[in-house]
Amino acid sequence: MRLLPFDYATRNLGRSPGRLVLAVLGSALVVLLVIASAAFVRGMGSSLSLPEENSNVIFLGAGSEESVERSEVSTRAAEVVATLPSVRTRLGERYVSPEVHIALAIRTEESQVEGRLTPVRGVRPTAYLVHSQVHIVGGRTPTPGADELMVGGLVGGQLGVDASRLALGKTLLIDGRPWSIVGHFRAPHTVMDAEIWMALTDLQVVGQRDDLSCVVVTLDPALGDFTDAEVLAAQRLDLELTAMREVDYYGALARFYAPIRAMVLVTASLIALGGILGGLNTMVAAFAARVREVGTLQVLGYPRRAIILSFVQESVIVAATGALIAGVVGKLLLDGIAVRFSMGAFGLVVDAPVLAIGIAAGIILGIVGALPPTLRCMKLPVGQALRG
Amino acid sequence: MSLIECRQLTKKYTRGDNEIIPLDELDLSIEAGAFLALMGPSGSGKTTLLNLIAGIDRPTAGELRVEGTDIARLSRSKLARWRSTHIGYIFQLYHLVPVLTAYENVELPLLIQPISRKERHARVAQALELAGIADRHDHYPRQLSGGQEQRVAIARSLVTDPPILLADEPTGDLDRASSKAILELLLRLNTELGKTLIIVTHDPTTTHYAKETLHLEKGRLVSEAPPALAAEVKSAGDGRGERDA
Ligand SMILES: Nc1ncnc2c1ncn2[C@@H]1O[C@H](COP(=O)(O)OP(=O)(O)O)[C@@H](O)[C@H]1O
Ligand SMILES: [Mg+2]
Repeated sequence: MRLLPFDYATRNLGRSPGRLVLAVLGSALVVLLVIASAAFVRGMGSSLSLPEENSNVIFLGAGSEESVERSEVSTRAAEVVATLPSVRTRLGERYVSPEVHIALAIRTEESQVEGRLTPVRGVRPTAYLVHSQVHIVGGRTPTPGADELMVGGLVGGQLGVDASRLALGKTLLIDGRPWSIVGHFRAPHTVMDAEIWMALTDLQVVGQRDDLSCVVVTLDPALGDFTDAEVLAAQRLDLELTAMREVDYYGALARFYAPIRAMVLVTASLIALGGILGGLNTMVAAFAARVREVGTLQVLGYPRRAIILSFVQESVIVAATGALIAGVVGKLLLDGIAVRFSMGAFGLVVDAPVLAIGIAAGIILGIVGALPPTLRCMKLPVGQALRG
Repeated sequence: MSLIECRQLTKKYTRGDNEIIPLDELDLSIEAGAFLALMGPSGSGKTTLLNLIAGIDRPTAGELRVEGTDIARLSRSKLARWRSTHIGYIFQLYHLVPVLTAYENVELPLLIQPISRKERHARVAQALELAGIADRHDHYPRQLSGGQEQRVAIARSLVTDPPILLADEPTGDLDRASSKAILELLLRLNTELGKTLIIVTHDPTTTHYAKETLHLEKGRLVSEAPPALAAEVKSAGDGRGERDA
């Protein structure tokens, strides 16, 4: 192998420390942006996707397939759904969760301004069976009629308040009426993580409604499948129900938000492209100053690809260092941050695949950024380069 | 056959309607062991001729054989390899790599040769010793004087043990004392190591060291320096050598 020593690349980086720092920070910024967009897309995607083995079915009011908020299900219909034979039963408990979903303006006691719209879910204790992703991490479930509620892990980010404002025993105001926080739950990577839960009857009072938004049931694969739910909805037209797999419901939501994801990706790529072009500019200047040196190396017998490789090494070292910094910063600062969208919030996810995307983007940035100025520098015939 | 044979050697540049002919049907034979001084005014084609012999540029027409090889016919990568073992090139402005020490600069041409680390070390040490700069092996170029930098550059040109050394105004940027020392060093390489030496120079003192002096003008060899040139050479000899434009 006829290559320039690796030292040549690393020491050249030290030629101009100011430019080196700028180049590292520049690529760190570009990579951080890539990580942020990937974390956004991944966070949004994972909050709207469920594990494949999920066998939950949502019964919604007919015609409200796209939004549980607008759905109305009568109490009578809920009673009929509860009798579906293929519903899972364990220790005498049937996995049937009648629910009310309303977005309410919530504010903390200390806050003077109008509260933000936050998804609130009214549930019965069976909800914790049906939604197995929910884990109570502090306190207890709210008691009906006691003006109590429970908050999900992303609610702080959703309301834009510090976690200490949502500690157990603190108060949240709904329509000026105080509700005390008695529990904390987490449901990572699901929309529920950004929700407030309270007793079903309490939310019906708050929302002034006596019907339900939906009934969620878990089917027992040994007893039947989704077809049973579909048949029930189709046969009992009087109940005005639609049955959807929970997976499909969130799949449809994800498709609804696909344009936002596409926009984020396009914006991120454009900014990254701008970063590459800006980086190119500095590199063209840095490499152009070394035209004569490149000529000398060729006179000494170094093949052109050895010199190109060494220049690319330099630039990849810079970009990869920037990418590492961006990875650490992204993991520390971005992971789990709540992003509010029309209804609710999801957390940015900075996990191994997202970091891998960031590092890969950094390396590509290094290669793509170095090649044009290097090739430009090599285009000159050696004799002319030496006169340069 | 001579070591270097030029037959009708021509180099032409065309820029739009303009035609520049730095070398015009040059015939020249240089024997092994020669010490040739090449003089001539700026733009007379001296550097062009050295670059052709070194295989850095390619002739437009004519023939150029070095050790019997028609180097104009070699591919670019073959030429690079050929050059790394046959030619040592010494520049007016040294062209050392600033981020490498003297030792590492001299080592550079050997890194692409298939030799052991031990032999490489021995050869670098020997070249530095020959060039009289061994004591500064761990200095960076910016820590060296011009004369010392040129010694490192000479060590670098020697380290692959090429039969031919080409020097383009090697003392052009040096004071008189340093120039003298560098010329004496080059002379020793010619007499003691038998290197064939071609030196482009503006400095008439070089001709005292060279075995033969040739004058180029407008891309052709002239037998005697014309009066105007002789005057220029004389005045240049009073001070430091002139640099090319
Ligand atoms: N790449 C090139 N394109 C056009 N003209 C060139 C090029 N390189 C050298 N020349 C011209 O060739 C002539 C000889 O140049 P050179 O060999 O450097 O002269 P010297 O070394 O004797 O001063 C000059 O007129 C120079 O301008
Ligand atoms: Mg010249």
